[in-house]
Amino acid sequence: MLDPEEGIEVASLETVAAPANLRAILAFFAGTCAGAGIAGPVRHDLRLAVEEVCSNVIRHGYGPGRPGPIRLEVRELADRYEIAIEDRAAPFDPASAPVPDLTLDWEDRPLGGQGWHLVRNVVDELRYERLPGPGNRVTLVKRKPKNRR
Amino acid sequence: MEVSLTDVGDVTVTTVVGSIDGLTAGGLQDTLEARIHAGRNQLVVDFAAVDYTSSAGLRTLLAVMKETRRAGGDFRLAAVRPDVHRVLELSGFTSILKLFAGTDEAVASFQAGSGR
Repeated sequence: MLDPEEGIEVASLETVAAPANLRAILAFFAGTCAGAGIAGPVRHDLRLAVEEVCSNVIRHGYGPGRPGPIRLEVRELADRYEIAIEDRAAPFDPASAPVPDLTLDWEDRPLGGQGWHLVRNVVDELRYERLPGPGNRVTLVKRKPKNRR
Repeated sequence: MEVSLTDVGDVTVTTVVGSIDGLTAGGLQDTLEARIHAGRNQLVVDFAAVDYTSSAGLRTLLAVMKETRRAGGDFRLAAVRPDVHRVLELSGFTSILKLFAGTDEAVASFQAGSGR
């Protein structure tokens, strides 16, 4: 029986937030889902949120040529999954990411700016903590389907 | 991700199998842009076997759509699966991209001369 508040750590990964490591991060999460039985729309949505958050840390978190660490921790609780993603980069609160204007005509749509918007819409809760030192912790919370606990 | 291309008259049908993510989106964009630069600006992408797209894939779809339209053509999607369709909806792409139930309908939409 899972502790409803603490849960258990399913898996964790610490690596360097460099473009060459995106493949390893995505493979880690795919393997974690397979091992933990995370499937269907929950897996889809968490996969999307994990890719967006980690890509953001890789691209924007650290200065050019000076990548730092990124750490992922996947926890399973009784009613939900929580994925914490930590870095040691300059503070960035996802709440400050602008919401894209979805009413623009195709010619005026910018090519980027969808990442955090998607994250906010596919998780049930998006927590942010600024870490001392500096650093950031983003926690993605996704509830399990009610009939599959 | 695997990509294959078939020309059906003036329309190029691209079949994508797999996931369009930060690892694969660039390759897909290169493939499609090469076709546009070769003068093929009526593109249909068969999404029946695409299980996932992230914002990296959305960036590719929008870039290619803009290039085809500026060249006088269009970029249309066929057979989009529910998880991917939801991502297209969330990002506001369903209001600017033409979606079809299947590749035959998407190809026919060009041949019927239906505009965007």
